[in-house]
Amino acid sequence: MSEETLDVLIAVYLIPDLAQEDFDSFVDLAEAKTISIEGVALVTKDADGEVKVQETGDHLGHKGAAAGGGVGLALGLFAPPLLAATAVGAALGGLTGKFARKRVQAGIGEKMDDALPPGSAGIIAIYDHADADAVSGALANTIRKSVAEIDKASAKELKTGLEEAGAGLAG
Amino acid sequence: MSEETIDRSTLPIRRPPFAGVTGKTLEGSEPDWNQAAHVMPPEGAPNVLVVLIDDAGFGNPSTFGGAIDTPNYTRMADQGLRYNRFHVTAVCSPTRAAMLTGRNHHRVGFGLVAEFSGPFPGYNATIPRDCATLPRVLQENGYMTSAIGKWHLTPDDQQGASGPFNRWPNGLGFDYYWGFLGGEAGQYDPLITENQKVLGVPEGKDGKPYYFPDDMPDKATDWLHRVRAERPGAPWFMYYATGCSHAPHQVPREWSDRYQGKFDQGWDVAREQTLARQKELGVVPPDTELPQNDAFPQWDSLSDTEKRLYARQMEVYAGYSENADWNVGRVLAAIEEMGELDDTLVIWIWGDNGASMEGTLSGTFNELTTLNGIPLTTEQQMGLLFKHGGLEAWGGELMAPHYSSAWAWASNCPFDWGKQVASHLGGTRNPLVVRFPEAIADPGGLRSQFTHVIDIAPTVLEIAGIPAPTHVDGIEQERLHGFTFADSLSSPEAPERHTQQYFEAVGNRAMYKDGWWLAMRLPRIPWQLDPEVLRGFGPGWDPDDDPVELYYLPDDFAQARDLAGEHPEKVEELRKLFWEEAERYQVLPILGGLSSFYGIVPPIPKESRFTYRGRIENVAAGMIPRIYNHSYAIKADIVVPEGGVEGVILAAFDHLGGFALYVQDGKLKHHYSMLGVFEYTQESDTALPAGEVGVEVVFAADEAKPATGGEVTLLVNGDPVASGRMEHTVPARFSGYAGMDIGCDNGLVVDRSYADKAPFRFTGEIKQVTFDIAPDLSDEDAQLLHEHAQQGLAAHAASA
Repeated sequence: MSEETLDVLIAVYLIPDLAQEDFDSFVDLAEAKTISIEGVALVTKDADGEVKVQETGDHLGHKGAAAGGGVGLALGLFAPPLLAATAVGAALGGLTGKFARKRVQAGIGEKMDDALPPGSAGIIAIYDHADADAVSGALANTIRKSVAEIDKASAKELKTGLEEAGAGLAG
Repeated sequence: MSEETIDRSTLPIRRPPFAGVTGKTLEGSEPDWNQAAHVMPPEGAPNVLVVLIDDAGFGNPSTFGGAIDTPNYTRMADQGLRYNRFHVTAVCSPTRAAMLTGRNHHRVGFGLVAEFSGPFPGYNATIPRDCATLPRVLQENGYMTSAIGKWHLTPDDQQGASGPFNRWPNGLGFDYYWGFLGGEAGQYDPLITENQKVLGVPEGKDGKPYYFPDDMPDKATDWLHRVRAERPGAPWFMYYATGCSHAPHQVPREWSDRYQGKFDQGWDVAREQTLARQKELGVVPPDTELPQNDAFPQWDSLSDTEKRLYARQMEVYAGYSENADWNVGRVLAAIEEMGELDDTLVIWIWGDNGASMEGTLSGTFNELTTLNGIPLTTEQQMGLLFKHGGLEAWGGELMAPHYSSAWAWASNCPFDWGKQVASHLGGTRNPLVVRFPEAIADPGGLRSQFTHVIDIAPTVLEIAGIPAPTHVDGIEQERLHGFTFADSLSSPEAPERHTQQYFEAVGNRAMYKDGWWLAMRLPRIPWQLDPEVLRGFGPGWDPDDDPVELYYLPDDFAQARDLAGEHPEKVEELRKLFWEEAERYQVLPILGGLSSFYGIVPPIPKESRFTYRGRIENVAAGMIPRIYNHSYAIKADIVVPEGGVEGVILAAFDHLGGFALYVQDGKLKHHYSMLGVFEYTQESDTALPAGEVGVEVVFAADEAKPATGGEVTLLVNGDPVASGRMEHTVPARFSGYAGMDIGCDNGLVVDRSYADKAPFRFTGEIKQVTFDIAPDLSDEDAQLLHEHAQQGLAAHAASA
């Protein structure tokens, strides 16, 4: 099953540097090939409200599995109640659109603007479902996270996964 | 009038017999100017400034070894005296009622707070006429009197234009009042009352939000300047009661950022550090030990996020408190500038009770969630904090936060527990500073006589040379229960007159006598007020079966060594004495203020329709029709001009709990905030027609039960135009302080979508708004809901 499914994870943080710690832990796992990831981004909003995509990890651990050319269609379709009008999911859609680094950097900052209050951060990640336990252990500082499973090959599944993850955050 | 002719024992002071001569005409008549004279206080009676800080602990101000910088408090202490065995009642209104009357709080009807008038004499929230207040006595003796800030002695449902006003400040002895009547206020959006009129929510200036604490000294000084100009020779009495440090903990960042990193060590280490400073200052004996309490988690057991969140909570509380000190300093500076500081008796109490534990262990983004009995896990609190602005917003105007109860515990260092817990010193012992140069020979000295808030009135009267009246308005007066400690100002060896004292709040009890303290804590965590918890104290409960602790305070300043097992005879002696005192001072029945939890509720109000004609603004929170837990309908008759309309038809409270009916982009909308936890909006598809229009929001509850869900329908001229579901509704109270407006949304708005247009005044005409709060309620449901409403009120009262 793990060969066929990915986890879509959204994690939010009250403290940006604790998000950085988790991000670093996540990247460490990927670099060590402990987990296999499709993409990851750390998005922070500073106290003055400026949003930055501090790092992306899409070059790590990518096995080349196609997540589907239609993944990017998820853009704008995601509006979980907690993050209503937040477009976290839209950012995720951007992230998963073949995980093009430039696109991630160009799109996420803008789309996360409404999602994060000043002085907070979020991590968006897609990784092999089989690595869920290891990822969970790495993201020790999140105040809330939500995970949905998607089929690697289906854009429709990704949309559902985004909605599920968002709904999970809202609960 | 000459002093010899004045009988001050009976108030109002009677005019002396005419000593002149009256003829048929002025020819031959001899005047007696005493007939036209004002009563003046005895020669030498000083000005009196009483400052009362709210919800703060013994271990908060640096003046008493705390981590919060309080230079003005320290200046007063260094020029005056520190009292380190001064006591309060453990709850807000009771301490205020006791202080202002000089009588025990139950005897003056304040076993609990003003929000809830219970059906027993000790809990009716009504200061009786046989217990005239200190300001009334001073006023009748020629003092000019004022109260600035928090009041909290007017019942919740009497804070409107309809009165009655005899329990407002003007009715209890204050010539002038400016502040907020309730138990708390938003520091950025308080509903201000001046004398007998609710003025509304002030607006900020120069692009900055209004900030109540910074306005208090201005209003105080304005009054001082005016009365001094008009009556240069008369002394004044000012009661300056801050809203700080009560929740919501709100302060500009410039204050809270001063404490960045200062609490990263956590509450366990902070307690030890505070104790060390207290020993160094000498405000606690060198052998003082810290009591331990496993109700609070050890700091080291927390996650990194929790540590950072909780440290920030305390930074905000500290900045908020330091700001209060700064603002009192501004008042002192004004008095000094007037040349009157040395002629003023300054009495400054840091806390009407111990620091408040009502934020629960995690602290909360909205204190009303606790008071409504909504259980939120730490994870949920953090999620909601994230939703409402994150950690950066803690202390800002858009959040109503309260810190973790463990910080309150640390604030009350070296004592255990805190607010509500009258059985322990954490709830009942607070710092007192007195400055009065002409009487104090050892400025900077320490006094350790057992003193209590009921001692303030007799002490002030003695220093002013005014007797406690035997009669006021023809009514024989109850004796003062407190004892003067005036002679302790000049003598550290002054006798300790206050040798025994009972304590009771929300069922927590203590009896003090000659150094011994019997603690009888209700076996309940202070922040738990749900019916299940309280059920154990209903029929069948024997308070004498509760666990007790016994302390001998001369050897054990902070109650760290329980001697109950070693001295059972002392336990029985003090327990018996407590019951005697309880009977004497109307403490009985214990938990009389929470009677509604045990089926004792007032008659159901007959009124269920309330009509507001025209534009009525700034209706106080307790005066608003109770729409909770059942179906209701709100209808507005409006006139829509040709060309359309926009603005608020009705708005109650704010985005952290409230509801609004408004027109935006031509469409009728209804927004309901369930305490900021859930939010619901319905809106019509089409614009309102021009002309006379009836708009209505109808809530059809699933069933009559607390926090019921239900369906909302918006109607225009009787036709449904929108609908939606509200899964959860507010069960007891939307807000502790925000008000309701017809035709606008003053203060913080209910729906942030129109915040940039606030107060978003309605551009059409509003003829009337009618609430029908019981459209389809059966008698049985009405009774059940009434009981629940009363429980909600009582729960709020216990925590206010």
